[in-house]
Amino acid sequence: MSFLTTSHLSRYFDLSEPWLVRKIKGQPKKLLKAVDEVNIGVERGQTYALVGESGSGKSTIAMMVAGLLKPSSGTVLFNGDNFFNPSLGKIKRMSMRKSVQMIFQSPYASLNPRWKVGDILKEPIKAFSLIEDETNQINRVCELLEQVGLSPRDMLKYPHEFSGGQRQRICIARALASKPEIIICDEPTSALDVSVQAQVLNLLKDLQQAFSLTYLFISHDLAVVSTMANKIGVLKQGILVEEATPSKLFLRPEHDYTKMLLSAAPDISNASRI
Amino acid sequence: MIRTFLESDLYHNFKHTPVAVISLGIFLLIALMAIFANIIAPHTPFEPSTLNLMNGFTPPMHPNDFTGDVFLMGTDNQGRDLFSTILYGSRISLFVGIMAVLLSMTLGVTLGLIAGFVGGWIDTLIMRFADIQITFPSILIAMLIYGVAKGLLPPDMRYEMSITVLIISIGLSEWVPFARTVRGSTLIEREKEYVISAKMLGLTPLQIMRRHILPNILSPVLVIATITFALAIITEATLSFLGVGVPTTKPSLGTLIRIGQDFLFSGEWWILLFPAVTLLMLALSINLFGDWLRDMLNPKLK
Repeated sequence: MSFLTTSHLSRYFDLSEPWLVRKIKGQPKKLLKAVDEVNIGVERGQTYALVGESGSGKSTIAMMVAGLLKPSSGTVLFNGDNFFNPSLGKIKRMSMRKSVQMIFQSPYASLNPRWKVGDILKEPIKAFSLIEDETNQINRVCELLEQVGLSPRDMLKYPHEFSGGQRQRICIARALASKPEIIICDEPTSALDVSVQAQVLNLLKDLQQAFSLTYLFISHDLAVVSTMANKIGVLKQGILVEEATPSKLFLRPEHDYTKMLLSAAPDISNASRI
Repeated sequence: MIRTFLESDLYHNFKHTPVAVISLGIFLLIALMAIFANIIAPHTPFEPSTLNLMNGFTPPMHPNDFTGDVFLMGTDNQGRDLFSTILYGSRISLFVGIMAVLLSMTLGVTLGLIAGFVGGWIDTLIMRFADIQITFPSILIAMLIYGVAKGLLPPDMRYEMSITVLIISIGLSEWVPFARTVRGSTLIEREKEYVISAKMLGLTPLQIMRRHILPNILSPVLVIATITFALAIITEATLSFLGVGVPTTKPSLGTLIRIGQDFLFSGEWWILLFPAVTLLMLALSINLFGDWLRDMLNPKLK
């Protein structure tokens, strides 16, 4: 069994009008199937990429995998553990939280503007009681900053003193702070410009090797995905339409929607050669 | 800390806005004189043994016909020096204002945070209650709470508790603007990714609200607090003017104005004028300072 498995994962959003209005107008309930019966499996140490246009349910899957959104039906399992298992104890839940972390799209909104970088990075260490001693906490923060290519001196600065790429590095450092097993990357490079994108992607790859991390990588950019993923899942309106390795997907796409996505990406002929 | 403040945009703009400097100056002048009233005031107006009824109705800067004493702002009907009474009166007005703002701020910020962050029926309950409360004039709410509280208290405690009751009734009548603003800001902040990442750390909603959201929504709260502060002082004066506020033996500015208006048409204008001007200056300076603060902290106007 894979490290991360989702089985029949679905999420519906209720878009119907308030109960009384519905009764007066005689309308039925309106449900949006954001994610519909998605089954994926991610092996340990590998990168699974979910692609699809906006509104295809990529981020909804990310939130459910992160345990922040309850699935309408189906399950997400990490090594057989489920966030929404009511019999899961508090200690077990915290240790799951620790091993599943997330990197977000906007490097501007994902850091608390009132906190210094050192405090941002210390927060996970304190929240999971990883290191109790104050000096060792600071040493750990220095180590994290160096791992993502920043200077330990940066811990005294505020987020607004950094560029977008540097902020994304801080976010990566925060995700690494709890020594997770899997990191969910929700469009981590789409808010960055191209030269910085490559740096951040390389950093993610290096860290994956160093800490044998598993990535669930969410993106709409096929060029980015092709450099990162071991396996790609294509989502269309909440349904997983195709799943393949990058080389197969780019050379012999099967589903019409995948073909359309590939033809819409301008530099895909270059990307397939990497 | 002080250095970063002196180098900040806020301080720079403050230095170059005469209205802000003057209004803060006037406010601080009144506040300091009120705080050090027992040193500055030439008389102790609440010590009956120091009063001389013969000094009653002495006009300002005019020797009294019987005793020859001179008073800066004249005296009232009981021979109390008006200047001293105003100093002690502003002290009560400021104290009631500050405490009432702190109460309504705590209440409003807490309820607004909960409503915005938790959402659902709790949000509906709190905000609909706020909607209902705001349809009544706040002075009416304050009088209602004041009346009920007075009725509930045993008669021998009514006198000493009157200032506490006043603070509670003004505080409970002004929380809605805080709650509404805080709820709105919380709705924006809670969707931001730093809050989601705090959730990923398994923090409780209380920790997220206190440590992450609260520090990021405080600047509008600061602005509302200054404006509500002026409003609370005026509400207190109105209540005291109507005779439901502080007792006459511990007069606030509103009580002094009420006493003064009894004598307005008999020629003793100073008893009304000086407390009224003090109240005007106090409320106006706080309001103008609040306006400047609002303009400064509003990113859309920058």
